[in-house]
Amino acid sequence: MPEAPLRQPPDEAQIEQIIARHRGQRWALIPLLQEIQEAFGYIPPESIRPVAGALGLFPAQVEGVISFYSQLHTEPRGKKVVTVCRGTACHVRGGQTILKLAKQQLGVEEGETTPDLEYTLETVACIGVCALAPNMTVGTTTYGSLNPAKVRRILGSPKEADSKEAASNEGTTGEGNGGA
Amino acid sequence: MEKVTITLDGREVSGPKGVTVLELAQEAGINIPTLCHHSYLSPTGACRVCLVEEERSANLLVSCVTAIEPGMLINTQSSRVIERRKAIVELMLASHPDSCMVCDKGNRCELHRVASKLGIGVPSFDKIPQRATITDVNPFIVRDMSKCILCGRCVRADQELVVEGAIDFLGRGFGSRPSTVGGVPLEQSECSFCGTCVVTCPTGALAERGAMGVGTTSRVVTTTCPFCGCGCSIALEVKDGRIARARPGDGGPVNRGTLCVRGAYGYDFVHSTERLKTPLMRGTDGLEPVSWEEALETVSEGFRRIIREAGPQSLAVLGTPTGTNEENYLLQKFARCVLHTPNIDNGARLCGAATYAGLGGTAGYPGTVGTIDDIESAELILVIGAGLSASAPAVGYAVKRAVARKGARLILIDPRMTSLTRFAHLWLRQEPGTDVALLNGLASVIVSDGLLDKEFVGRKTVGFEELSRHLQRYSLEYVQQVTGVAAEDIRRAAHAYGSATRAVIIYGGGVTRSARGTDTVKALANLSLLTGNIERKGTGLYALQARNNAQGACDMGAMPELLPGYCSLADEPGRTKFERRWNLTLPTSAGLAAAEMMTEAAAGRVKAMYIVGENPVASFPDAASVEKALGRLELLVVQDIFLTDTAALATVVLPAASFAEKAGTFTNFEGRVQPVRKALPPLGESRPDWEIIMALADAMGSPLGLETLEDVQSEIEELVPFFQAAGGTERVGAPGVRDTAPWPGRRLYEQVFPSTFGRFSSVDYVPEEGRSEEYPLILVTGGQLFQFGTGSRTSRSPRLRRFAPDSYVEVSEVDAERLGIRDSEEVRVVSATGMVAAVARVTNAQPRGLLFAPSAFPDGRVNGLFPAILDSQSKTPALGHCAVRLERGHPYA
Repeated sequence: MPEAPLRQPPDEAQIEQIIARHRGQRWALIPLLQEIQEAFGYIPPESIRPVAGALGLFPAQVEGVISFYSQLHTEPRGKKVVTVCRGTACHVRGGQTILKLAKQQLGVEEGETTPDLEYTLETVACIGVCALAPNMTVGTTTYGSLNPAKVRRILGSPKEADSKEAASNEGTTGEGNGGA
Repeated sequence: MEKVTITLDGREVSGPKGVTVLELAQEAGINIPTLCHHSYLSPTGACRVCLVEEERSANLLVSCVTAIEPGMLINTQSSRVIERRKAIVELMLASHPDSCMVCDKGNRCELHRVASKLGIGVPSFDKIPQRATITDVNPFIVRDMSKCILCGRCVRADQELVVEGAIDFLGRGFGSRPSTVGGVPLEQSECSFCGTCVVTCPTGALAERGAMGVGTTSRVVTTTCPFCGCGCSIALEVKDGRIARARPGDGGPVNRGTLCVRGAYGYDFVHSTERLKTPLMRGTDGLEPVSWEEALETVSEGFRRIIREAGPQSLAVLGTPTGTNEENYLLQKFARCVLHTPNIDNGARLCGAATYAGLGGTAGYPGTVGTIDDIESAELILVIGAGLSASAPAVGYAVKRAVARKGARLILIDPRMTSLTRFAHLWLRQEPGTDVALLNGLASVIVSDGLLDKEFVGRKTVGFEELSRHLQRYSLEYVQQVTGVAAEDIRRAAHAYGSATRAVIIYGGGVTRSARGTDTVKALANLSLLTGNIERKGTGLYALQARNNAQGACDMGAMPELLPGYCSLADEPGRTKFERRWNLTLPTSAGLAAAEMMTEAAAGRVKAMYIVGENPVASFPDAASVEKALGRLELLVVQDIFLTDTAALATVVLPAASFAEKAGTFTNFEGRVQPVRKALPPLGESRPDWEIIMALADAMGSPLGLETLEDVQSEIEELVPFFQAAGGTERVGAPGVRDTAPWPGRRLYEQVFPSTFGRFSSVDYVPEEGRSEEYPLILVTGGQLFQFGTGSRTSRSPRLRRFAPDSYVEVSEVDAERLGIRDSEEVRVVSATGMVAAVARVTNAQPRGLLFAPSAFPDGRVNGLFPAILDSQSKTPALGHCAVRLERGHPYA
C-alpha cells in the first residue's frame, strides 16, 4: 500500500463561488459536483455540506449521489489518470499483463493514486480502439499496440514518452475517448 | 372521486383512482407479501416481492407502485408470481447471514416471515459470506449491516418522517448500504436517536441496544408517552415484569410511527434502582422506611393538627402535570374538599400559565387552536421561543415535513441556532426579552402595509382601532434598535406572514417562561387575529406544553384561581354547580399560586405542604430560598417516584407508581385526551398517585366519595362539560382504544369558534434589567433532547444519562476566546442569585454575548441562578433568561 496522498485543505471561498452559481437549483446537483471536481480534480468532502445546504438536500443525499457515480471522486486524484483497457480485444492481446506492469511501474493498485499525486491508476471496459489493442490512456492521450517496454517507457518518464510516442502514429490525442 | 374497477384474484374490486394495486388488495383482504413497503412511507418498489401478474398482458407488475387501471385482471398468486417471488427472496437469503438462531429480531423478522410463507427451505444459491461490522458505540442503536436487505425503509423513515437526513444509501450495486455521511458512527452524525429506523427495519440490521437478547414479548400495552406535551402513542412490550422495548403505538394520531429518543429509549427510568419502594419518614437518622399505615396516619394527623391550630389557609398543595387527569382532579378535590384550602396549584404554572392568561381573553380559547395535522397543511409556519427538536420533537417532525416535503415556508424567531435553523427561510435573532417589541413591529407592518384580513377583523374582532393607534409607536427603526433584528428582515417576515393564506404560529417555553410571557402571547394572538389565521384548516396558534399533561392538569382545575373546566371562582352559577355537587362552600377569591406558596412558606404563613410529583428545589428559581422556605414548614409531604432534592427535605415521603404502573388519561397540547394503561404492577409498595390521594382522604376521615377510576371519570364528565363532550376518555379496563379524537367543542376552526369575537390587546415592550458590568452575558435556558424537565426521570434513565452525562453551558466562539475558555473545560456560571458548575461547550450556534444551558442539569440547579421574578398576569416565575458571568475553573477545586 502506498502512503495516503497528502491533501491540502481546499479553498473554501472557491467552493462557495462555484456553489453560488447554483444556489436553490436542486436539479443542478450533478453539474455542480462536476464543476467542483473540474476545479479541484476531485470533490473535497468539505464541500458536501455546503452543497447540500445550498440545494436544500441532506448531506447524506449528496454523498449518496457522489458514491453512486464512478466518475465522481471524493479523494484527490493524480495529475494524470492512467486507464488500462480491460476490453475483450485488449484482454486476448495481453491487457492483463499491461495492467500488471502499470501497477509495478507506478507502485499502486487499481483505483489508487501515487503519493506524489502524479498518477491515478484505473481500468476501463473498452476504450474503443480495439484495432490497436492492447491499449491504455494517460490523461487525454491514447497509447496503442502496447508492449512491456513501451509501458515502462511511457510510465517511467512520462515527459519523454509524451513527446516521442504521442507524436508517432501509435498515439492519438483526443478528448472523451475513454469508455464509462 | 372517480372509481376504478379491477379484477383481483377473480373478484371485482373497485377503489378510488390513484390507489395502488397493493393498497386495493390490502383493503380487499388479499395478502400480498411486502418488505420495502411501509404504510407511513412513500412506496419505492425496491424489493419486488409484491409482484403480481396482470393476466391480459401477461406482465408482472410491482403492486406497491402500480396504480389501478380500469379492466386490470390481476392474479396475486399465479405460478409465475410465486416462482419469481421465491427467486427474489432466495437471492436475498443468499447474501443474508445464517445468524437467525442468535438474532434478536427472532420471529419478528419480516424476511423470515416472507420466506417461510413462500415455503423456502434450503436456498438454492451459493451464499455470499457477510461479516458483521458493528462500529457504533452509542447506547441506543446497534447497526449490523450484514443483515441489511436494502429495502430503504430506514432511509425513508429518516428523511420522510423525522426529516433528520442522517442516512442515505451510499455506494452502488453490491457495495451499496444505508450509511451516514462519510460512514461515521451514528453518534457522530446528525442522528437524533429517535429510533424510527429501528422500528421500521424489517430485519435485525437495526436493533435497540439495551434490548438485545430479550426476544419477542407476548404482551404489548399501548399507552401515552410521559415526557413532553406532544402526547405520542407509545407501545410498551412487556416481558418478565419489565419493559423490554418501547415503540410507536400503531395508528397513534400524533406521532404516526415516530418517537424521539426519550420516548423510544428513556422508559428505562421505570426500572431504575433508585425508585422509591416504601414510604419514608423523618426519624432521628434522617428518612427511614415505615409502613403505609404509619405514614398515612402521620400525614393525616399532621394536616388535622395544622388546620386546627392555624386554619386551612396555612396548607398548600402542589400537583404535577406529569400526573393523569384523574389524579389532578382528585388532588384539587382533596385540597378543596378535604383540606378546605384554596391553595392548590400544579407545576404547569412554570411553563404554561402565560398561555391561558394570554389567549383566553384574546383568541377566545385558552389553549392550542388547531391540530398537529394542520401544521402540515400550512403555507407558512412561524416558530418563536421553541427549540422544537428538543422540547416537542413530534411537532418538530411535523414542521420539518411541512417545509421539506410540502413546500411550507418557515420563519424562525430564535437567537440560538437549533437543528431547525437549516430549514428556515427567514431567521430572526432577537435580543432575549424583546419578543413583544419584535411582534408589535411585525403587527405594525401588517397594519401599515395593508396586509390585514379586513373582512375577518371587521366581523370577528374588537379593539382594532386602539391597537392600530398603539402600533404606530413601533416603527421599524425603533424595533430594529430594540431587538437587534434588521428592519428589512422584520418587513420581510411581516409580509411573508401577512400575505400567506394559511399560516400557523408555534410558540414554546421561550415565550411562556419569560417575565413578559403573557404579553408576548397576547402579541402573538394579535398577529393571528389581524390576518384571520385562526379558525380555518392550516392556521392556528400552537401553545406547546412542556410536560405531558400540562393541558390536562389545568383542565382539571388544579389551579388556585380556576375550578375544573376553567370555571372562575368568581363565576357565581359555575361555582354553585361545584358547591352543590361537593356539598360545601367554596371561597370566591383565588388561593396561592406555586411561587407564592414558597414566599408564604418562607414568611411562616404556610405551615404544611403536600407536593405531588414536583421538585420545586430544582424547577423553581432561586433554589436556595426555596430550600429555606421548605425547611421552615412544620410538615412537608412529598409524593414522588424518586427521592428528589425536594423529597430529601420532606417529613414524610410517599412512594408513587410510574406512568407504566397506572391507568388514566393524559391530555396533550392539542387538547386530545389519550389513554394511559397499566403495563406493570407498581414497584415494591409504591402506589399510583390517585390511590394515595384517596387513601389519604380516607385517613383524614373525609372520603372523597369515589371508589374507582371510573367513578372519578364519571364525576369529571359530569362537572367539566368539554370533557363530557369528548367521548375521548377511555373507561379503565375497556378493551382497545376508544375514539381518541379531539373534543369537538375544543376546535376553533370550521365554524366552532367558541366566542363571537377575538379581542386585540395593546401590549407594550418593557425593557428588562439586562446585562451589567458585573454580569455581562445573558444565559438562556431551555429543553435538551437527551434530558427532560429538571431531569429527575431522564437522569435516572441509564442510557440517556450515559449518552448525555454533562451539565453543560454553550458559549459562543467569540466569548470563549475573549474569556480564554476552551471546549470541555470546567466553568462556573454566576448570577446575582446563585452559581452552578458546568462544562463549557464552545459552539458557533450561539450569538456572542449569549449562553445556553439546558434546564435539566444532572449535577446542579441551573434554575437556581434565576431571581424569583413573576409574570404579573400569569404568576409564572421567569426562567427564560437572566444576566450572568462566566468564570473558568471548578467552584470546589
